[in-house]
Amino acid sequence: MSRDDILQTVKQNVAEFKPLPKYLKDTEQQSAEKLKEIFIKYLKQVGAQFIELKSNEDIAPFIAEHFPGAFDFGKNDIWEEYSEYCPKEKLNQLETVMLEGQLGVAENGAIWLNDSDFPNRLIPFIAQQVIIKLDSDKIVSNMIEAYRKINLENAGFGVFISGPSKTADIEQSLVYGAHGPKELKVILYSREKTNSKNVR
Amino acid sequence: MNYTAASWGIKTQTHKKGTSKMVRNLDIKKLNIGLFIPCYIDQFYPQVGIATLELLQKIGLNVVYPMKQTCCGQPLANSGAEKEAIPVYQNFVRNFSEFDYIVSPSGSCVYHVRIHYDILEQADEVKKVRQNTYELCEFIIDVLGIDDLKIEYPHKVGIHQSCHGLRGLKLGRSSELVANPYSKVRKLLEKAKGIEIIRLNREDECCGFGGTFSVFEPEVSVKMGKDRVRDHQENDAEIITATDMSCLMHLEGIIRRQKWDIKVVHIAEILNSNNL
Amino acid sequence: MTGHSEKAGQFLKDEKRADWHDQTLWIVRQKRDKAAWSVSEWEGLREYASQIKDHVLSNLDDYLIQFEEKAVENGVNVHWASNAHEFNEIILHIVKANNAVKIVKSKSMLTEECGLNPFLEKNGLEVVDTDLGERIIQFRNEPPSHIVLPAIHLKKEEIGELFHEKLHTEKGASDPKYLTAAARVHLREKFLSADIAITGVNFAVADSGTVVVCTNEGNADMGVHAAPVQIHCMGIEKIIPRAEDLAVFTRLLARSATGQPITTYTSHYRKPKAGGQMHVVIVDNGRSKSLGREKYRNSLKCIRCGACMNTCPVYRSSGGHSYSYVIPGPVGSILAPGSDINKFNDLPFASSLCGSCTNVCPVKIDIHNLLYDWRQEIVERKLLPPVKMFFLKITGKVLSQSSFYNLSGKVARWALRNFPRKMVYHRINVWGWGRELPEVPKESFKQRYRKNSQKRRVRNEQR
Repeated sequence: MSRDDILQTVKQNVAEFKPLPKYLKDTEQQSAEKLKEIFIKYLKQVGAQFIELKSNEDIAPFIAEHFPGAFDFGKNDIWEEYSEYCPKEKLNQLETVMLEGQLGVAENGAIWLNDSDFPNRLIPFIAQQVIIKLDSDKIVSNMIEAYRKINLENAGFGVFISGPSKTADIEQSLVYGAHGPKELKVILYSREKTNSKNVR
Repeated sequence: MNYTAASWGIKTQTHKKGTSKMVRNLDIKKLNIGLFIPCYIDQFYPQVGIATLELLQKIGLNVVYPMKQTCCGQPLANSGAEKEAIPVYQNFVRNFSEFDYIVSPSGSCVYHVRIHYDILEQADEVKKVRQNTYELCEFIIDVLGIDDLKIEYPHKVGIHQSCHGLRGLKLGRSSELVANPYSKVRKLLEKAKGIEIIRLNREDECCGFGGTFSVFEPEVSVKMGKDRVRDHQENDAEIITATDMSCLMHLEGIIRRQKWDIKVVHIAEILNSNNL
Repeated sequence: MTGHSEKAGQFLKDEKRADWHDQTLWIVRQKRDKAAWSVSEWEGLREYASQIKDHVLSNLDDYLIQFEEKAVENGVNVHWASNAHEFNEIILHIVKANNAVKIVKSKSMLTEECGLNPFLEKNGLEVVDTDLGERIIQFRNEPPSHIVLPAIHLKKEEIGELFHEKLHTEKGASDPKYLTAAARVHLREKFLSADIAITGVNFAVADSGTVVVCTNEGNADMGVHAAPVQIHCMGIEKIIPRAEDLAVFTRLLARSATGQPITTYTSHYRKPKAGGQMHVVIVDNGRSKSLGREKYRNSLKCIRCGACMNTCPVYRSSGGHSYSYVIPGPVGSILAPGSDINKFNDLPFASSLCGSCTNVCPVKIDIHNLLYDWRQEIVERKLLPPVKMFFLKITGKVLSQSSFYNLSGKVARWALRNFPRKMVYHRINVWGWGRELPEVPKESFKQRYRKNSQKRRVRNEQR
């Protein structure tokens, strides 16, 4: 059986044992402001457009004004319509979608999303334009921090998205909108800070 | 900024070969220096050997040139015939085991002795020879602790960073690495009166000699050489210098075939044009 | 013999084009440098990644078993293929079991290695390579010339002509935006109608049975999430122990490959979609044998970033096709002889051993040392052409005995000074094809030294 043959040969031929290295010194802790600054710098570098809003509450009116046809997958009401069994042709009609990211990585402008953020895995890729909203407190310094926070076993599919889809396969000329979304917009917002003296 | 892996808590292999050790307060007159002259310098560029010998003598060293030396064995070993090279290696060890230091105007030969003589049985004399063989510039800087040879050299000079010296002997920081820049060759030239060291577009790209590569892959070799010379020309160098005459022999061959107007001068000759 | 030298010679005949190819790739190397410098702990990351891979190669069987266990728990079908033939048959079997006809494939050097496309096409199936560069070369019926930038050897005008023929774009159009937009439409139709999506695997995480694929175009995801059946193909060496190890590799991969901080998409596939199938095919095809070759084991650490190709002046001046192996350039030259030492006996010699590749390799494969070691093995097994073997033996004799050496030197110098130019620069003098020989001095250094010491002796005696 191939499996057994392969494993047997591998077992015979492995190198002399070398331990898994212990990680480097911990990454320096940076302030939330600094992390946001670096994140925005890289968002721009990877071709994403960036919008900053004061709070979560401001997002809906902003979308309504600037992206009226957008499908907001942050709300569950459209999940059944665009479920895992949704026909591809219907998904292919999606122009603008909005998703919520779980965390952002400052060093490369990447945002983590998984199955719990969209009802159908094609959605972040098939739409022509994707808007991702992200709580700016959820930005970590680098991938080391990111992988410490996410748990791959929470979902069957997860993805780091850094900018719109792109290619440079034709004479190294950068073109956005290869097969995935042509544009990626990231809305950074802050959580409302509740103050017992200022109950709204 | 400390870029070394060690500063980030990662244990790395310590490289014992080629570590520089400066001998402080040494009485240089008491040192026995063996001069190793690479085969192609012996045959085609004796003036480089003479410059090296004169320079070391001017500094005050007792230099001996063992007459029975031949070659370090690199041309064979790089072509895959390491086994055929063993008698050549043994001849080298025989000729040089009595010396405190062996100095040579060739980065690649020194690299070869320090790294590839590991296939010899590591008797004491083999170990001694491997540890004490130095390329000329690193010997002057690291062992003698001298960085100012009182040179006068009013020319525009391009430094070709020969690969084995650069990446093998760590004569400088190669451009791929995220590390603090340094260059032993540049250090020795910087203080020369009147010199202008030009900046290249590609500071350490290979010249394309590569030993038998130059004849196994002749077109690529010549193309690479042409590109190097053009880089120096574009940046107005009058003279291309290097630690390895093999690189310069290859570049000079191209320069003369193309009838270009730029010269090659081995570092030993520049360092020897001094007022010591 | 791959004929690398002759092919490179051909490539260099169009010197302007060769310069363009060289400069294009040099720019990618410079982008890599810039990205590396933006990470102050870059060298530490390389060391760490290298040690993770060293560890994996010392414990590979356990990790493969762990990966399989987890994947199966997740509802994934895991298959094992000993060689290319078995691999192709497994894919065909899955295809047939699903009555599939249309297949889309995102970048996978492994499938190139196994010749999957021609095999499936022979069986009446449509296989569409969806990475733009791969689709371009698929249209041209040629192999990729670079593992990350498959069409780097082509000019946009040539691609424009190709798309005019295959996609009916406007004649003479060569704007990359326009051409890419045309490819987008064409390939979207393929994604939506595919029965099966095949991908490669950048990293396979043992502790969760996850397969990670990195793309800029989103073509892996478009294929995988649209098609009912997804198949991921991996060599046994792609395993890494834990999710947290992904952090180091995802920090190194894109920066080394193209100078980007990360690829647009870093997709983690763990479970099939509802109503879908997920398969992982684990392939050996000589890797377990390479594992046992201690000298060359390091070549299995490769994460297929292509940085070594971008930095290698020989690759830049000869083009990927002159290597005649699925993976060209420095790392290709150390992998190829492992798969067929006779066929690829000249690749380890297609290098000046400058060592630049070793310095850019994110997992610290000491490529220049492995090239050197392969040369020793090839010569020891007498696999070089007889003329070269003879030449090496003679050189050995000359260089080891000083009397023989001195005499040969004298004779050579005399001949070069006295023979007519036509004779010296005869075609057999390969050095002379593009260079002049050095000017020949009358005396060697040794002769002059001897003369001068004799003079000194005479003077001392006279005193």
